[in-house]
Amino acid sequence: MEHISYIREPLITGEGVTYSQITDEVLKPVEGPPTTKWLIGFAVSFAFFCIWCLAIGDTFWNGIGEWGLNKTVGWAWDITGFVWWVGIGHAGTLISAVLLLFRQNWRNSINRSAEAMTIFAVICAATYIFGHMGRPWLFYWIFPLPNTFGSLWVNFNSPLVWDAFAISTYFTVSLVFWYIGLIPDLASIRDRAKGISQKIYSIASFGWRGTAREWLRFEAVSLILAALATPLVLSVHSIVSSDFATSLIPGWHTTIFPPYFVAGAIFSGFGMVQTLLIIAREALNLKKYITIEHIETMNRILILTGSIVGVAYGTEFFIAWYSGSEYEQYHFFYTRAQGPYWWAWVMMISCNVITPQLLWIKKIRTSIMATWILSIFVNIGMWFERFVIIVLSLHRDFIPSSWAMFYPTMVDMGVFFGSIGLFMTMFLLFIKFAPSIAMAEVKLLLKNGSEQAKKLMHPEEGAHHGAKEGVIIAATTLGIKEKDHE
Amino acid sequence: MENTQDKIQYWKGLNDLNPSPEHEESKKKEFAEPIPLDAFVESIGLKKVSPRRDFLKSLGFGVGAATLAACSKAPVHKAIPYLIKPEEITPGVSNYYTSSFEGYSILVKTREGRPIKIEGNPACPISKGGVDAPGQASVLGLYDSGKLKVPMVQGANSTWSDLDSFVMEKLEGFKKNNQAIRIVSSSINSPSTKKAIGEFLNAYPNAKWIQYEPISYSAISQANKNSFDKEVIPSYHFENADIIVGVNADFLGSWLSPVEFTRQYTSKRAAKALESKKMSLHFQFETGMSLTGSNADYRFAIKPSLEGPVLLALYNEIAKLSGVSGIALGSKFELPQEAIQKTAKALVGAKGKSLVVCGSNDVSIQILTNAINSLLDNYGNTIDLVNYSLQKSSNDAEFMDMVKSMNQGNIQGIIFYGVNPVYDFGDSKTFQEGLKKVSLKVSLSDRLDETATLCDVIGPDQHFLEAWNDIQTKSNLMAIQQPTINPIFDSRTAQQNFLNWAYFSEHKMGTAVASTPVDSAASKTDSTKLSALPSAGKPMEYVDFLKSHWETSLFAQMGKSGNFVENWEELLRKGFIESPSQASSNIHFSKDLGPVAQTIEKNAENSAGNFEVQLYQSVAIRDGKYSNNPWLLELPDPVTKVTWDNFIAISLKSCHELKLKDGDMVTVEINGVKEIFPVLVQPGQAYGTGSIALGYGRTAVGKAGNLVGKNAYPLINLVNGSFQYHNKANLIPGASGYEFARTQDHDTIEGRSMTKETILTEYIKNPFAGSGRTDKEEEKADAWDEFPKKGHHWGMTIDLNACTGCGACIVACNAENNVAVVGKDEVHRRREMHWLRIDRYYSFNDESGAHTKESDLKDLDKKGLLDKMENVSVFYQPMLCQHCDHAPCETVCPVLATMHSSEGLNMQIYNRCFGTRYCANNCPYKVRRFNWFKYFDNDQFDYQMNDDLGKMVLNPDVTVRSRGVMEKCTFCVQRIQAGKLEAKIAGQPLEDGQVKTACQQTCPANAIVFGDINDHNSEVSKLLKNERTYYVLDELGVRPGIGYLTKVRNRELVFNEAKPESL
Repeated sequence: MEHISYIREPLITGEGVTYSQITDEVLKPVEGPPTTKWLIGFAVSFAFFCIWCLAIGDTFWNGIGEWGLNKTVGWAWDITGFVWWVGIGHAGTLISAVLLLFRQNWRNSINRSAEAMTIFAVICAATYIFGHMGRPWLFYWIFPLPNTFGSLWVNFNSPLVWDAFAISTYFTVSLVFWYIGLIPDLASIRDRAKGISQKIYSIASFGWRGTAREWLRFEAVSLILAALATPLVLSVHSIVSSDFATSLIPGWHTTIFPPYFVAGAIFSGFGMVQTLLIIAREALNLKKYITIEHIETMNRILILTGSIVGVAYGTEFFIAWYSGSEYEQYHFFYTRAQGPYWWAWVMMISCNVITPQLLWIKKIRTSIMATWILSIFVNIGMWFERFVIIVLSLHRDFIPSSWAMFYPTMVDMGVFFGSIGLFMTMFLLFIKFAPSIAMAEVKLLLKNGSEQAKKLMHPEEGAHHGAKEGVIIAATTLGIKEKDHE
Repeated sequence: MENTQDKIQYWKGLNDLNPSPEHEESKKKEFAEPIPLDAFVESIGLKKVSPRRDFLKSLGFGVGAATLAACSKAPVHKAIPYLIKPEEITPGVSNYYTSSFEGYSILVKTREGRPIKIEGNPACPISKGGVDAPGQASVLGLYDSGKLKVPMVQGANSTWSDLDSFVMEKLEGFKKNNQAIRIVSSSINSPSTKKAIGEFLNAYPNAKWIQYEPISYSAISQANKNSFDKEVIPSYHFENADIIVGVNADFLGSWLSPVEFTRQYTSKRAAKALESKKMSLHFQFETGMSLTGSNADYRFAIKPSLEGPVLLALYNEIAKLSGVSGIALGSKFELPQEAIQKTAKALVGAKGKSLVVCGSNDVSIQILTNAINSLLDNYGNTIDLVNYSLQKSSNDAEFMDMVKSMNQGNIQGIIFYGVNPVYDFGDSKTFQEGLKKVSLKVSLSDRLDETATLCDVIGPDQHFLEAWNDIQTKSNLMAIQQPTINPIFDSRTAQQNFLNWAYFSEHKMGTAVASTPVDSAASKTDSTKLSALPSAGKPMEYVDFLKSHWETSLFAQMGKSGNFVENWEELLRKGFIESPSQASSNIHFSKDLGPVAQTIEKNAENSAGNFEVQLYQSVAIRDGKYSNNPWLLELPDPVTKVTWDNFIAISLKSCHELKLKDGDMVTVEINGVKEIFPVLVQPGQAYGTGSIALGYGRTAVGKAGNLVGKNAYPLINLVNGSFQYHNKANLIPGASGYEFARTQDHDTIEGRSMTKETILTEYIKNPFAGSGRTDKEEEKADAWDEFPKKGHHWGMTIDLNACTGCGACIVACNAENNVAVVGKDEVHRRREMHWLRIDRYYSFNDESGAHTKESDLKDLDKKGLLDKMENVSVFYQPMLCQHCDHAPCETVCPVLATMHSSEGLNMQIYNRCFGTRYCANNCPYKVRRFNWFKYFDNDQFDYQMNDDLGKMVLNPDVTVRSRGVMEKCTFCVQRIQAGKLEAKIAGQPLEDGQVKTACQQTCPANAIVFGDINDHNSEVSKLLKNERTYYVLDELGVRPGIGYLTKVRNRELVFNEAKPESL
């Protein structure tokens, strides 16, 4: 089976990249001592993580009253943070599972980090699930448990129960998928490591030897897990959206929520992938593997999903008008844009709908700096989207006497910004102890692009190579692997 | 140098020097001789060899047990069982005793010997079963740990016998030298207390008794003395009045007898009156938006200085319409002429069936009010001077004379009973100066209050639930106050003190005898003194004194003859005794009003100014006596919804002119006295006026009430020996940014349909008017299956035409359901725990109809519509869990912690709740309350639940909720259970009205009706079928279980008519 391409642009750039060079370069952060950049990053992240510990400790010790919630606004930064993190977790699975099924090989450079991001983001989301409970030590009551009191059952009507199942399934499948993908790379580290770390990596890699049979099974398991994970990409955020959609609060009670939330999740997930990968690419010197091509492709996804989100916003307004419901109309036409939280709505619209449209311009789309800034806007915008949905809907619902404002406390802020610290701490530890790029999969790409295209991209490099026009380099997956094992 | 020590070898016996093999062997063993352990183990039936499994079992058990035992501190339970069970007490079953509070009869609910709740006495002719907020909260005052635990003499803890010796020595000295003694008490209407004080006055001819009230009603009695030669406060009968006119009289909230007046007032306005298509018409002229004004059909905002001129104009207008000559007036005032004409016309049209009341403490204004009522033939119909009221009796002039002579050094001894003039007398500084010149200062206060701290002797008084007493509210009505618990601290009633001191003086005893039946061991151990006493006997116990007083004269006075024991028991059972009221005759006013009018005009001119300040009593705190009661402090003010604070309420127009806004601090200067208050912009407040609540800013009342708000008493105007509660003032703006703890800060209804109202004429034409319903029952689409409604199905109705918004129900609910007090900061964060709240909305009174949107309130100054804010209507709506049949909270709870009972109750299972708060978010009525913190045993919430004594008030039938769980109204499920059990034991079906919720029981307006909807004859079923009944947010399809009865206003315009179509 041969891929012959005149136009496919190479997914790994740079001159004379060899397989061993890939291994060397990808494993450099793992095997070498921590760099100054990493140490600074870790110190900052860890400081935020400590803030998180303090804030969440205070919440657990004294009660949810430490947050700014009140009798009217029962959820605010907690569930905003939860949905935000779950949304961020979406890109990982989409990249690793859906794109794998669609044979989008460009994903190979970014899937590892994206998957790790998913795992850590879901962990952050889960901290909010426990953290926001009045009595978190009883969290296991969410599951139907055998008990001595007869049929003490959970409420299968409640979307929170669905949530518990959806998130835990998603987390489990993502974790397994991520870890299985890690095994060949962990084995590579093991092979090069010495002493205690060799032992640890040896256990962690489950005795991987890289035989053909193992590779065959690896491929098969990846595909099966990808097939399992793909519906989860759609289900998790649909179910998270049900937390709101099945209620009767104006602004929540909306049938468009499941597709809208999924699109928003992918949007925010890719936003976060962009933010993190651009940093990682710089800090870990992985420019060869994470190329402009990757960034541009992801930007295209951002335009698509951002526009879907924009259409969803418009649809909400239309339906509010069309439904004739007084409360919905008040919510959408008054509270959102003119109420006391109008600025949150403006933030949401400008960061999610307006600024991503700049990515239609190729120059911006292929600019690292512009992309990074826009991706941060996406992260901010998507946080505000959840804030708008949750707080704006709750703070003015049906009976005006109970309308109230929500003001976050220091603890609220500590929990949210601290959770970013928790996430970054886990992510930095991950890139220190495991390859941030799936080496085995990237190696597949090495000879996957067309030299002609490469030359077209960089004519001077092509000349230097001395390659002639029309030379076709054919690469087959199998072929590369065979060579790889030489 | 070599250490020779190291080389020395010691030996401990010859065997060590010459070791034998046996010795070597024995050295290896621990014990010289073998211990027969195996034999022992076998002898007690165990195996010699311990198998591995047994070992592991023991190890496991040991480790497990040790771990478990280490897990928690073993709780120390202190429970003292009844050694001999009192006959009337069954643990777990409540006992009710009659007693009385502030002039009306109540029932006290006790559990295992401790009073836990005040209930209205349905038979009481004054309250007819209603209790107001202070009454409901009074039970908490019993368990106030801020009270004095022992008597104090000269700043040190003492005993009663020492106190008696100290006081007696001084009093006898004064008597000998004929030096003046004064008793300063609050209004006393107890015949036996009066007699006890009389005994004291007999014993000390040099003593004089003065009654003092910071909120004085003395002008009314003085005016009646002047007009009719009867120095009394009359009985008012709002239930006989078709036209009611109030001039700065908050008779539903705080004036004179609000519980009584609320019952009377609503009887002419609620469901029963409307069924006969009749309703009283209520005009209110007032300065601040009072509870009464907010219920009026027509309300006219006037400056307080215009009280008199308005009444003068009203008199002239009535006189003109009745063909009588009016009063010649000197000055011109800017008066609401149209309003006065309208009012006069209505009054003249209902002669003999109208009532004009005025809250002024100016004698001339009260004389004028008498003249108006006389002109309207109201005496004998709506005002009764024959069966008069004894609720308040004080004399400002006497008190001020006393302050004067105190300052002149003419008073040697003073006894304060139930008063606190250092805090609440307008000229406290002069009072304190004078007090320094008094050589014996005795306070009979229950705590070290502002006055008591300046006294030499403090004899802690008992709480009314600890003591015997009687009260006479009306000339033909007396009620009994019986103790429901032994005195908690070493306290003694004031009456006992008066009796003792009188007795000692008469028997020439310079020292004390055993003082009270429950006197502590402290005084009894003082045996030297006891034995040294002459054997002349003991002073009478107050209870015996009271009983003999009843036996000898009071029963006879009430027209009751026969066996004393029977009468007495009947009195205790019933709580009160009423003699037939005497025929009330129509008295005519015949004095010359000329000089009165001149005085009124002169006073009005003197107190008039560009800006005038009015001082009023708030509905909860009243005069400040109950300022340490956290239930009352946290009860939102009915109109402003502010808790834990007082403020100066100013109209929007004045605020614009003075460049003030909500939360600005402003210095109020009256006659050189300056006090700083935060500003609250109040719709309905008269232009150019500010209203400030009295009773706040206590400094020595207790941990809850100290320094809550600011003291406004220094601003009282002392004119001609009377207390005037308004004057012209200067405002000096100060800092800004003060934040109130309000339970509601959105005051408009946004054009929504939860409030429904109509006007009387429309209602008469079509009883469905305004309710949004027609005579055809609509079929409602429903996505849900109908629940079977077997057995009981509990429901409620709330008559919005009866509800005055007073908030008694909120305090009743707090007491019944152990609702936590959370304090000012938490209320400010909108986290009050009240299960029941009263929503309050404003709307403009103008022809354009409903102007109730937030956007309408923007830029009123630019639109030139600031005046509109003075002319507003108020709508009150009690809101509690609606117990929806299709409750949205129930579907979203992940753990089924909130469920529907087969009797239609929406239940909350605290044990199961883990606090996701989803139910509260999904509740469209926002009536669910979350326990953000642990509200008991937590120093952050230092109220009654952080206090061993305060916890005594908790209702043992209701769980105290833990941190992190949701709670809400249960329809008093514990009362439902108790009622069902009672019916079951009696073998009878549960009767309608047998189960009453706490809010329903206390409601002085009878606005709340609870019962079984499945019982078609129940009151609630009938009311649910009433044409006015509607459901709040019915369009959501949640099938709420509480029907609201449309409000009907008796006026011309249709305001705020509910629109069937949205937007």
